[in-house]
Amino acid sequence: MTRDEVMAKVREHLAAELEVDAGEIEEGTRFREDLDADSLDLYELVMELEDSYGIKVPEEEAARIETVGQAVDFVLGHVPSA
Amino acid sequence: MSPDAGAVPVALDGFGADGGFEVIAAGARAAAADGIDVRVFGPPGELSDLEAVDGVEVCTATEAISNDDEPVRAVRSRPGASVALAAGDVAQGRSRALVSAGSTGAAMTAALFALRRLHGVHRPALAVQLPVPSRDRPVLFLDVGANAEARSSHLVQFAYLGAAFAGSVLGIERPRVALLTVGEEQGKGTPLVVEAHDVLARAGGIEFAGNVEGRDLPAGSADVIVTDGFTGNVALKTMEGTAGEIGAAVRAAARLGPRAALGGLLLRPALGRLRRRLDPDTTGGAILLGLRGVAVVAHGSSGPDGIANAVRLAARCVRERAVERTAELLERSGATRASLRDADERDRTEHR
Repeated sequence: MTRDEVMAKVREHLAAELEVDAGEIEEGTRFREDLDADSLDLYELVMELEDSYGIKVPEEEAARIETVGQAVDFVLGHVPSA
Repeated sequence: MSPDAGAVPVALDGFGADGGFEVIAAGARAAAADGIDVRVFGPPGELSDLEAVDGVEVCTATEAISNDDEPVRAVRSRPGASVALAAGDVAQGRSRALVSAGSTGAAMTAALFALRRLHGVHRPALAVQLPVPSRDRPVLFLDVGANAEARSSHLVQFAYLGAAFAGSVLGIERPRVALLTVGEEQGKGTPLVVEAHDVLARAGGIEFAGNVEGRDLPAGSADVIVTDGFTGNVALKTMEGTAGEIGAAVRAAARLGPRAALGGLLLRPALGRLRRRLDPDTTGGAILLGLRGVAVVAHGSSGPDGIANAVRLAARCVRERAVERTAELLERSGATRASLRDADERDRTEHR
C-alpha cells in the first residue's frame, strides 16, 4: 500500500462526507480550520480507515489527528504488514 | 407497495429498561401481536418467555452498556454489547429499525456509528413528541440532547429534520416550525438563534412560524419546535419535573377532606384519560433524526406499553419512509450541508 493510495482513500471519504471539492484536500489540510469538520466527522473518518485497513485507532491518538497528512501517517504506521 | 405492506423487523435492545428483562419481553410480545417482527438482543436465559412467541426472535447478547460508561469509548470497544449488536443488525439489513431503552448516549452513539448520518446532515438531533393537553396531536421538540453545542446551520437543519418527521410520521400537512427563544420578535435570542432565524425566514420547503417562548412548548403553538440540545434537554426535564410535582400536588389536594375527595372521585375518569394521553409511554420514546436508518430511544422507565409503543413508532417510521422523505426534503429545499455553506458564502459576498 502506498501513501498515494491512502491519501486517495482519505480524500474520497472527506469529499463525499463533507461535500467539499476533492481537489481542495491536500496533506496539510486541517480538518477543523480548513474543512469545517467537527469531532463527529473525524470519528467517521477514523472508523472508515479502521474498516478499510484493519487497524485500530485508540481514542487518544484519534484526538491528536489534526491534518489530512497526519491521518495518512497514522494508517501507514499501523497497517499490518502483508 | 402500500406503507403498511411487508414485514418490518425491529431490533430491540434487551438490556437497559429500569424494569428489567420482564418489561422488554412484555413490550416485545405486545408489538409482535401487532404484526411487527421483533429481534430482541439479550441473554436467552432471561428472555426464555419469548421463545414460543410468534414474530419474536431472541438474538444472543450478554453484555450491556450502562449509563456509567462513556458512550463513545464503550460502543467502540465493546462490539458485542447488546445495543451495538442491535444497531449492527439494522446496518446489515436484517432489521429495519433500532429501539433501545438503555443508556441514551450509548444508543445514540451505536446508532450514529452503525447507521451513519444522512448525506449532507451536519448533526443528528434527538426529537420527542410532547403531548399537548389542549389538542389531539403532539408537538415535536428537538434537539433534546444529542448535541450539547450547536451552530446556526445545525438549528436550520433540525428544522427540516423535524418538519420531515412531522409530515411523514405524524401526518401533519405543512407542519409549522418555530425556533425556541426568549421572545417572539425576530432578533430575540442568542446570536445562534438570530442567525438561524434569518436563514429560516428566507428558506424554502418548510412553513417557518418564527419564534416561540418556553411557555409555548406545552401549548402547541407550533407543530415542530427547534432548539439546541442543551436548552432542549433542560426544557424537557423542567417540564417533566413540573408535571410530576403538579400531579402529586393535585393528588394530595384531593385527599384533604371529604368534599375534596368527592370532587377527586368525580374527576377521576377524565383525569385518568388525560394522564394516559400525557404519559410518556404513550408516545414511545425519542427518535434520532438525521440518520440513514431509524433509531428510537425509549425512556429507561418505560413499562411494557412504552417499549411496545417505541417498537411501533420505529416500525411506523420505516413504513412511512421517514428517512427517505427527510433526505428528499433536505435535498429539495437546499438544506444539505453543502447547500447551506454555499448560501452562507453568497450572503457574505453580497454583504462585502
